[in-house]
Amino acid sequence: MSEQPQLKRKAKGERPYFFEDAAVDKLLAMLMGLAGEVSVLRDRLDTVERLAEQNKLFTRAEIENYQPDEVALQERAARRALYLGEITRIIQAELEGMQDAGEVPYSQAVDLVTTEEQPV
Amino acid sequence: MQTSELEQNRHAILPQPNHDELARQQFVRSFKEHLVAEVHPGNRLAYEHRVKPAFVKQHGREPDDRFEIRDVMTRDPHYRMFSALLRTSQEMMWSASQHPVQRELQALVEKAKSTPGAGGRLKLDPTLEIPRYHRAVDIHCQPGGYHTEVTADDVAPGAIYDRAVFIYAMGQMGPDNADMGGSTLAWIKANYPNLNPERILDMGCAVGHSTVPYAQGWPDAEVHAIDVAAPMLRYAHARAETLGAKIHFSQQNAEQTDFADGSFDLIVSHILLHETSEKAIRRIIAECHRLLRPGGLMVHAETPPYKSLEAFDAFMLDWDTRNNNEPYWGRAHDIDYVELSSRAGFDPQQVFEVMAPSAYQIAQARRSKVFQGGDFGGGGLWFLYGAEKQES
Ligand SMILES: C[S@@+](CC[C@H](N)C(=O)[O-])C[C@H]1O[C@@H](n2cnc3c(N)ncnc32)[C@H](O)[C@@H]1O
Repeated sequence: MSEQPQLKRKAKGERPYFFEDAAVDKLLAMLMGLAGEVSVLRDRLDTVERLAEQNKLFTRAEIENYQPDEVALQERAARRALYLGEITRIIQAELEGMQDAGEVPYSQAVDLVTTEEQPV
Repeated sequence: MQTSELEQNRHAILPQPNHDELARQQFVRSFKEHLVAEVHPGNRLAYEHRVKPAFVKQHGREPDDRFEIRDVMTRDPHYRMFSALLRTSQEMMWSASQHPVQRELQALVEKAKSTPGAGGRLKLDPTLEIPRYHRAVDIHCQPGGYHTEVTADDVAPGAIYDRAVFIYAMGQMGPDNADMGGSTLAWIKANYPNLNPERILDMGCAVGHSTVPYAQGWPDAEVHAIDVAAPMLRYAHARAETLGAKIHFSQQNAEQTDFADGSFDLIVSHILLHETSEKAIRRIIAECHRLLRPGGLMVHAETPPYKSLEAFDAFMLDWDTRNNNEPYWGRAHDIDYVELSSRAGFDPQQVFEVMAPSAYQIAQARRSKVFQGGDFGGGGLWFLYGAEKQES
């Protein structure tokens, strides 16, 4: 692509933050961005369903009455588990750290590389 | 023409969003509607339920004015949540409105150049200085403001604005965003049945959402519209031509124009004044006085002054001053219009301040009937200020 003129993306002016910790504002903004993208996806699916019906591929009633078979059930359950694991990764990571007997406070690791002899 | 408020009229030069771009824009509108219906009312609830009682307990009296209310409300968790979400919705609105324009930019520029003729002219002045009050911050958070150009013959700010206003007002100003012009026009026709203006000027016209109703309402009048921002005017011109409205657009500062004394029978503006400054507004009203013929009329549409609202509502309407890059919003809502007008040469006896009903009735049932930040057009009424110039 040739260099397209780019619109300015940030409005000039200091942005107000409303919570004591601006990270809360930022998380909310990301959450709403994500909610928006889910909505976009849902609308797209809705279009697909309506077009399918219009073009006589399958009907929305068929979707409502669809009964996943054993294979589909298993695959979906596995995908949801993976999905949830990805989203809640940070919680798991903390728990795994507690379970790991070898995990030392971070400052200890810093001390180690600055004060102690490195093992050869 | 479409009569629903669910979607905007797709005139020929409105950017065409693709499937997901449209869905993204419609989400922002739904998000804003949710805020108005479900989250906004919680502010008053929180105020009555815990903020005011705490204030009374501490001071032995209720808060006096919107400033005292602001001091305590800005610490309330619900108000913070509401504000963080409203600010985010504003940013998402601009972002979602930008996407199709960025994608189609060159095509839009070309399309705007070759629109069918209603006969309106476009006169730009590249030497015109953009006022400082528009360079300090980007008004209501539109990135680049009204005036920034990124390509030759740029129309992007106008194209983005056209779409964003529809989302911002959640359709409450109709499928052509024309409610301010339409309502003001209807009020003038009802109250000045003999006016029949031959020459009309709309100041700070932006993309002409409010100008078009005048050209349609008085088809024999010569309609002029001015703005400081060239990309708004290019888009406004193309849009008006597409809609068959003959309007002469020129790039001028309303504080000082090149029209001759007494050029106009009617001068109007719509939400221009609050986006200027203390000095500019005086110069604009003085310019109106110079440009009107004796017996001519000026009418300026805004949201209602704070003095007409109870303190809590004034506080909520004032949200934009601090949180939406509208630095003059608050001061402008405290203007003494009689003093302003008489210093500009108008007879103080002639000055009127009225609330005119919205001409866009379809949205009426759905409106919140409240004047509050983030709910533009929700009040269902427009504040009009103006005066007739004395016959000499
Ligand atoms: C909120 S918009 C106006 C909306 C428009 N009147 C409508 O009803 O759709 C404000 C417009 O005023 C213009 N503006 C601001 N100060 C101005 C001035 N001193 N002279 C002319 N135009 C000005 C801005 O460039 C912007 O396009």
